[in-house]
Amino acid sequence: MKMKKITALSLAAVMAASMVPAVPAMAAEAEGSVYYLNFKPEQADQWVALAEKYTEETGVPVVVQTAASGTYESTLKSEMAKDEVPTLFQVNGPVGLASWNDYCYDLKDSEIFKNLTSEDFALKDESGKVAGIAYVIETYGIIYNKALLNAYCETEGAVIKSADEITSFDTLKAVADDIQAKKDDLGIVGAFTSAGFDSSSDWRFKTHLANLPIYYEYLADGISSTDAIKGTYLDNFKNIFDLYITDATCEPTLLSSKTGEDANAEFSLGEAVFYQNGTWAYNDIKENEVADEDLGMLPIYIGVEGEENQGLCTGSENYWCVNSKADEADIQATLDFLTWVITSDEGRTSLSKDMGFVTPFKTFDENYASANPLDAASNEYIAAGKTPVAWNFTTMPSEEWKNQVGSAMLEYAQGTGEWDAVKTAFVDGWAKEYAAAHAE
Amino acid sequence: MGKSMKKYFPVFVLPTLIAFTIGFIVPFIMGVYLSFCKFTTVTDAKFVGLSNYVKAFTEDGTFLHAFWYTAAFTVMSVLLINVLAFAVAMLLTKKIKGTNIFRTVFFMPNLIGGIILGYVWQLLLNGILMQFNRTLTYSSTYGFWGLVILMCWQQIGYMMIIYIAGIQNIPGDLIEAAKIDGANGKQLLKDVIIPMVMPSITICTFLTLTNSFKLFDQNLALTNGEPSNMSEMLALNIFNTFYGRTGWEGVGQAKAVIFFILVALIAIVQNRLTRSKEVQQ
Amino acid sequence: MTKKLKHSGAWTVLFSILSVAYIFPIALVLINSFKKKAYISRKPFAIPTDKMYVQFQNYINGIEKTKFFEVFGWTLFITVFSVAAILLCTSMCAWYINRVINAATRTIYYMCLFSMVVPFQMVMFTLSKIANMLKLNTPWGLIIIYLGYGAGLAVFMFSGFVKSIPLEIEEAAMIDGCTPIQTFFSVVLPIMKPTCVTVAILETMWIWNDYLLPYLVLDIKKYKTISIAIQYLRGGYGAIDMGAMMGVLVLSIIPIVIFYLCCQKYIIEGVVAGAVKG
Repeated sequence: MKMKKITALSLAAVMAASMVPAVPAMAAEAEGSVYYLNFKPEQADQWVALAEKYTEETGVPVVVQTAASGTYESTLKSEMAKDEVPTLFQVNGPVGLASWNDYCYDLKDSEIFKNLTSEDFALKDESGKVAGIAYVIETYGIIYNKALLNAYCETEGAVIKSADEITSFDTLKAVADDIQAKKDDLGIVGAFTSAGFDSSSDWRFKTHLANLPIYYEYLADGISSTDAIKGTYLDNFKNIFDLYITDATCEPTLLSSKTGEDANAEFSLGEAVFYQNGTWAYNDIKENEVADEDLGMLPIYIGVEGEENQGLCTGSENYWCVNSKADEADIQATLDFLTWVITSDEGRTSLSKDMGFVTPFKTFDENYASANPLDAASNEYIAAGKTPVAWNFTTMPSEEWKNQVGSAMLEYAQGTGEWDAVKTAFVDGWAKEYAAAHAE
Repeated sequence: MGKSMKKYFPVFVLPTLIAFTIGFIVPFIMGVYLSFCKFTTVTDAKFVGLSNYVKAFTEDGTFLHAFWYTAAFTVMSVLLINVLAFAVAMLLTKKIKGTNIFRTVFFMPNLIGGIILGYVWQLLLNGILMQFNRTLTYSSTYGFWGLVILMCWQQIGYMMIIYIAGIQNIPGDLIEAAKIDGANGKQLLKDVIIPMVMPSITICTFLTLTNSFKLFDQNLALTNGEPSNMSEMLALNIFNTFYGRTGWEGVGQAKAVIFFILVALIAIVQNRLTRSKEVQQ
Repeated sequence: MTKKLKHSGAWTVLFSILSVAYIFPIALVLINSFKKKAYISRKPFAIPTDKMYVQFQNYINGIEKTKFFEVFGWTLFITVFSVAAILLCTSMCAWYINRVINAATRTIYYMCLFSMVVPFQMVMFTLSKIANMLKLNTPWGLIIIYLGYGAGLAVFMFSGFVKSIPLEIEEAAMIDGCTPIQTFFSVVLPIMKPTCVTVAILETMWIWNDYLLPYLVLDIKKYKTISIAIQYLRGGYGAIDMGAMMGVLVLSIIPIVIFYLCCQKYIIEGVVAGAVKG
């Protein structure tokens, strides 16, 4: 309560101060400026607020622009061609880096690099240049409603007695099937939320779910990327996807128009028990009918041997890159801004509390732990010694590949296509897209 | 008169000419040039000859599909819109109570933008299809008919207004004379009314033809090409090639040139037809 | 006679039903704009009662998310000034190129004619790049772009009318000592009034609703038009706020309907005149 008052007061003071004499001074002082093209629409407003604070404090203008869902690449492309280029932008991993490496400033001397808890969170190119720095660590899995799952455990003939017993695909399937059968008794619509294939939701499957067969294949072959995927675990992929679409809240023929908002509404209104999504979804779930303490997350089991030790999928697809083709002054201003973001109280509070990020920086001590209950779930798995699943989807050859796989999955789900088409898009499409991307 | 005016060129023509150069001439010429180049922005263009055109047809299966889809859509909507608009116009020129109100209602959707209409109809059509466990993006067939219905709803009013003007221009005594000669309703329509409103028919056909062929906003809002680009029409296909895939900008521009040639061909053929009619009259 | 009257009554009933059906899609959006967002896509035909009813919450959200009034203002600004610029500049241009006939003016005329058959996709990329290079990516700059891109149709339509004005009137004015500028504004422009109305209506309908051109040309960080704002609502990673969408749709449709009902006569006449000449 006190906190709030102080913030309000200081905000008012800052606003008043900024109104009159500061304006000309600011213009004279500011040499460089920052233009951040942000990838995550969920945190768009928080970034704008943080940028304003920085400008109040230092006089350096910071513009934050957020691209709409699915349009980051094209927005970045069109913005880079303009006069005022983004000084700070994002790539999603090695594949994104391949298209933008020429624009990436070497961050090896930057504070954000020096403060990383592990160099694994830096994105390096072949020459060893530090091209990008991960700034948020995220986790996804099968989010579940503890209250509903417990209610199920109480029912007669329940397959399990507590959520801890779900440690394999078979159990997950048995539970989901049973829940689906008892949905009317439980007062729900289905076990899983709708697996919508609208562009606001299809990435949950064509990218995040498809990560699992890739992860296990890489693990089996001891590699970290490939020019041709074999599809060893595609049958497992099919099993889990079948589960999503059969034990669901809606008919598979409706999936093409189901949005992320729909799935979110079903979960947060307590109409479904399971919801595949990540820590970032917390902002949309909270303050509805599901209480924070009822939120849990399960690993996505696909029926691979030894999966009882599998953890949640943890990684980053958000790397900060500083535009090397911007003006000297702007580059410096951007680096200063980033340093401020990870070291100042305002920056750290904003990232950890307002945006709810878990960051890989040393400067974030326990005072800046995330308030997100889904992060807590992820920490529990790590503490229990489970192996986190790496985000290998950053090695998927192109957006086009994801789109092709996604379309094939949808066609299969609604019954207008065969599973073989998914296999073809997955395996043949990979080789083709990889070749196309590395043609020059 | 010409001479004294001549020196006023800067006042009368220059503003339009400058804007026209910026807004059309230069972009057009650059566009043609870029269709033979590989580029990501205007400044890094590299000449690659015809390879963009080849790629548009060989490597990208969506373009030909979009062409046939657009062609089928255009034929369907031109037929439906014109037949229905003409029928409504015939009825509304008779002495029916409330004609003015009906005209007002039917014309209104025209003024509402394509993006807005797309979302309005998405809600309605998905709502109806949901009763049958289907959605607009279930298959391209649903998207196709959805677009046709939407286009009819939007354009019938406009075409109706033009037909009404055409029908009202027919001299009353001409129809009287035909009736006295014993023409029945069918003959009257076929031998008197249709020939007399031929100019309106040509105009409406042309307008619906180009509107349907170039449709973009409604397509974007209603289905956005889903599923799998199967309900994507040419204009949207070009846009997606351009802005959706890195490295494909040149192909997008080449497609745009082909699209332009198609539209120009339609216009020329149409123009010829109109001219030959004028000679006959 | 009575038979005929009955007949006409049946038609009236039929058309009344059709009219209601015609308005239904818009009415449906209006109904859903008062419904809680989670229910809209799942129960689109339900009447929003107690649990589903949210008063004006969707409108408030929609206005906040899209900055609707700002966006509305920019759309109005762009439309009004672009149409004004088009009317003034192209009518002058059309008069000149039809009175001073030489190779240059003929070329301009045919270029205008030619531009009418070029689809926007042909120039979309280069046009947006040029606009950006010349810093025309603001609402003010957009007026110039619209003048340029819309010039073709307008010059063509004005030319058609100028050709029908008898030369004697203008010559009389010139003999009285008028400069061409005075002649144009005091004699020619008043005669062209009906054509002005037609051009104004056609261009307004186009510019107000245009999506792709402003989307590609404008600096979207700062300025949006209504169509862009609506399409943007559809964006957001994982979230399409159907409630806000319904609210904004209604807010965008209302002004158009009011404008239409006020100026119906001119709009319909303008469309007919435009079609006959175009």
